[in-house]
Amino acid sequence: VREREQWGSRIGLILAMSGNAIGLGNFLRFPVQASQNGGGAFMIPYFISFILLGIPLMWVEWGIGRYGGTIGHGTAPGIFDAIWKNRLAKYIGVLGIFLPLVILIYYVYICSWTLSYSFAALLHLYPSGDTTAALGSASKVLAPYKDYLGAYTGAGGNGLFLAPPLATIIFFIITLAVSLWILAKGISGGIEKLSTFAVPLLFIMAAILFIRIITLPPSSTTGATVAQGFAFLWEPDLSGLLNAKVWLAAAGQVFFTLSLGLGAILTFASYVKKDEDIALDGLATASLNEFAEVVFGSTIAIVTAVIFFGTEGAREVAGGGAFGLGFISMPAIFTHMPYGSFFGFLWFLLLFFAGLTSIVALSQPVIAFLEDEFGWVRKKSVFALGIFFILTTPMAIFLKGSLDEMDFWVATFALVILALFEMIIFFWILGAERAWAEITRGAQIKVPRIFFYLMKYITPGFLVIILVAWSWQQLPGVLTKSGTGIWFTRGFLAALLVLHFIVVHLAWKRRRR
Amino acid sequence: MSSRGWIFLFASWGLVSLLVVFCFYRLFMKR
Repeated sequence: VREREQWGSRIGLILAMSGNAIGLGNFLRFPVQASQNGGGAFMIPYFISFILLGIPLMWVEWGIGRYGGTIGHGTAPGIFDAIWKNRLAKYIGVLGIFLPLVILIYYVYICSWTLSYSFAALLHLYPSGDTTAALGSASKVLAPYKDYLGAYTGAGGNGLFLAPPLATIIFFIITLAVSLWILAKGISGGIEKLSTFAVPLLFIMAAILFIRIITLPPSSTTGATVAQGFAFLWEPDLSGLLNAKVWLAAAGQVFFTLSLGLGAILTFASYVKKDEDIALDGLATASLNEFAEVVFGSTIAIVTAVIFFGTEGAREVAGGGAFGLGFISMPAIFTHMPYGSFFGFLWFLLLFFAGLTSIVALSQPVIAFLEDEFGWVRKKSVFALGIFFILTTPMAIFLKGSLDEMDFWVATFALVILALFEMIIFFWILGAERAWAEITRGAQIKVPRIFFYLMKYITPGFLVIILVAWSWQQLPGVLTKSGTGIWFTRGFLAALLVLHFIVVHLAWKRRRR
Repeated sequence: MSSRGWIFLFASWGLVSLLVVFCFYRLFMKR
């Protein structure tokens, strides 16, 4: 077994794992989900899901990853195959490389928007709108900002294709180049160094924005106050607790926010030392992510939206989804806020760092796979990843409907399947006692035994319920969507999955030789 | 905002803050 890289320090590891988990979803998806699903009452199913689903899965991914690292495998195909003596195991594990790779096809591109938007804020490039229009209708004041995003992504392009301007492509290339450069430097020298700088900086920027927003005076146009902003998100609608949709939304949010079921945590954990306290490290990672989400994520975007647009306008904004909140409403708000160009710069730079630390984490599984299973050196693996981006990202940039289609199949659906297999293979095939011993080895904190039963029975059951409910809720709508771009994307995803199966097959053939 | 809203806000913020404090206290202070 070849010597594998290791994390340089414990805090570096926790910050890298937190950077992995903290992404755009903490600041954009969470406030929209909470405000639309019962407000403060959303937090009851949210915290219950955090305990029943979030923490157990987080520990399982750390445990399975560390176990894999000790036997020379940092990705799901190798680890699943080592645990489960079944020819299918390695092919199921393919999801642990395929999912992060597909997400990256569009995530790097979206992350490049945040970099561009931060510079645009600093250079006063956002359109200037009419502040008093906010009183009338949010959509009226947002129209020029919607056009700005449309122009940036080339939404005006004809037919099948989008036609973004050169600046969009340049920012994408910069983001890609920075990501690959960090990845080429390795686990400790690249990813860990980035995280020890970017994650604390991200918290500092979020804290500055948080303080600015909670000290905002009542709006001169809408009259809305900070307290009304908080009320918009936190006023509990307890009847929501009887609605299955609210519980499902909360479980989904916990899943996304902690980056579970993607294979990225598992790969990061494979570089952990043999007797590292993964129980405490995993919990610390989750705690930083939750703080960023529940304190900063609940405040920054939504409270400002209420102050600027009023409660009704904010409802319209939240109804436009996380993307609209981040890339349309926030630029509009910053244009009209005192020193808005500085705060807009901070906001998008914060999102950029949140995105960048997630990009490097999502990239690591495929790099680890090429290193571990094909014996490639790191630079060659990173180079191959770069070629993959150059070949595939144009689809997300230029093909209409492609981005949403990829996002549904991999970032909503398939990650629950991978998480379910992780639970079954670790707790039912390796064996519950061995899996428990793996998670608790070296632990300074005493992990309550109740989690043993949760991991063995409740979490897998919860995952099955989510999978069935999401299929029931969302599949019919998605499957009725059609169009050349959408079918091309589906065909591409199927072909890419088959290519993954072939590559895994070749890796095992090489190993037998 | 109603007092119930403030309770939900501070309870949630308090919970996640306590979790951070607990983890980092154990990480740095109690080895």
